Amino acid sequence: MSIAIRELRRRFGQFLPVLVAMTLLVVLLVVLGAFLDGLSRSQTGVLRAQGDRVLVLSDDADLAPSRSRLPDGTVEALAQVDGVEEVGRLSTVATTASVDGDVQDVVLVGYDLATDTLPEPPTSGEAVVDAKLADLVDVEEGDTLAVGPDARELTVTTFVGDVSAGSPTIWVAADDWLELADTVNPTERATTQAAVVSGDATPDELAGTGDGLAAATVDDVIAADDVVTQQSSTFQGIIGVTFVVTLLVVALFFVLLTIERVRLYAVLKAIGARTRDLVAGLAAQAVAVAALAVVLGIGLGIGLTLLVPPDLPLVIVPARLAVLAVATVVVAVLGALGTLRRILRIDPADAIG
Amino acid sequence: MPALTIDKARKEFPSGEQTIVAVDDVDLSVDDGEFLVLEGPSGSGKTTLLTLAGALATPTSGSIRLGDVELGDLEGNERSAVRRDRIGFVFQSVNLIPFLSATENLLAVRQLGGGRVDRDARDRAEQLLEELGLGGRGDNVPDELSGGQRQRVAIGRALMNDPDLLLVDEPTSALDSELGRQVVELLRDEVDRRGVAAIMVTHDERVTDLGDRIVKMVDGALVES
Repeated sequence: MSIAIRELRRRFGQFLPVLVAMTLLVVLLVVLGAFLDGLSRSQTGVLRAQGDRVLVLSDDADLAPSRSRLPDGTVEALAQVDGVEEVGRLSTVATTASVDGDVQDVVLVGYDLATDTLPEPPTSGEAVVDAKLADLVDVEEGDTLAVGPDARELTVTTFVGDVSAGSPTIWVAADDWLELADTVNPTERATTQAAVVSGDATPDELAGTGDGLAAATVDDVIAADDVVTQQSSTFQGIIGVTFVVTLLVVALFFVLLTIERVRLYAVLKAIGARTRDLVAGLAAQAVAVAALAVVLGIGLGIGLTLLVPPDLPLVIVPARLAVLAVATVVVAVLGALGTLRRILRIDPADAIG
Repeated sequence: MPALTIDKARKEFPSGEQTIVAVDDVDLSVDDGEFLVLEGPSGSGKTTLLTLAGALATPTSGSIRLGDVELGDLEGNERSAVRRDRIGFVFQSVNLIPFLSATENLLAVRQLGGGRVDRDARDRAEQLLEELGLGGRGDNVPDELSGGQRQRVAIGRALMNDPDLLLVDEPTSALDSELGRQVVELLRDEVDRRGVAAIMVTHDERVTDLGDRIVKMVDGALVES
């Protein structure tokens, strides 16, 4: 194996083409992963802000909070279930907000419970605002937003990050939301959409509180989101294809390298190398090249995401990078091992004559 | 016991509907410290016999024993181990590893099969290069050495694991007559000094006198000179 590493160090130029190709593929993987996570996060901020609580929805909503309408009295009933610590309302409606005439699509959220992400609900006439809105329009704490068709004025008390729901979110107290939502859609009486429950009660226990209720964890509700699922599967598919291309690039490179080295391998076999010694050497070279490509690719990929406009939903998630790094190295080793059959066929007797 | 005993060894190759007999029931033995010269025209089977003796190929029939080890009985990894530990090869086209220095080419033999390069191995490599007149060239890669120097590094590599049998294929083919004779004299000295059995295949009649015994091969069969 150390012979293979010496070759890598002393004939680095030979490995440069595959290093460049793999680095570019890693950059692509990093950017695709950033889009996948960015799109997912930008859609699900309202739900993720609820932490590890359970959501209770109307059964006919198929776990889509925006389609849910809780029957009256549900929140009070849930509060009586054993193991329930807190129950709060959570509702959303899409509308617009303007700042100094600059109109933006927003999602108005009504809530009762503070979380690790969210402060206590603001008082009437005030709003907690998604920091994403500040990226799009010139708004600061203390400024006034005109929300909805009636241009209801809300004063910004604070900004919170990572709570977007496709559009930036504006968070008001649940009672205020009911009043504002009626102005957004005057033809339908605004109704609380979901209840957020903390404590030890299971989703099944909570769903059994009343007829026509369903309950699920935040993760399950996110997983049931059609938009998130479609985006995720699309990007996962592209990422998968990129890994296949990486595998083919590495395999092709090492096949060509092996063809070039037939004589050398015959000599090494003749003087006592086992096939597994040669394969281990190739695998070591593949791991070293892949590791370098991962470092360069992640560095360049992160640099690239910093250059894109802020309205593009790109998020670098360390866990995603770790998975990409390990998968790239594994794929490189598998690609290198594609030459195993060729190496097995090399006859040591070819070293003589 | 001879270092190498070849008993009725035969090697056939299929060629279309015909069968080519490259080695035809050859009997041969080489003792420790004996330097045997194998000569003959092209296509006479010399190289094939060398591959059989070097555990690089198996005979169609017959027996080849290295000391008391029957080479035909060995499996793949066992054959690799025998080639690594008990046989030294000097190839016609030298075949050094191009990206390793002279010293590293010798040490590579130790590394194959998972062996470690320790202080003793380094000392032995340096000593061999010194004996072969390459004391100051250990750090040079093959491209930085002359043809004769490369051939001497190849001899050092063949001797690195202190083999029982040295197999040398046309060592003078790429060298001028003076340098070629020097290389074979060096081989002769190493055989004497180490008591290793050696078979040298050559066309070069100018060096055959350095062997203890000359065996001619014609049409796959041996003709003792």
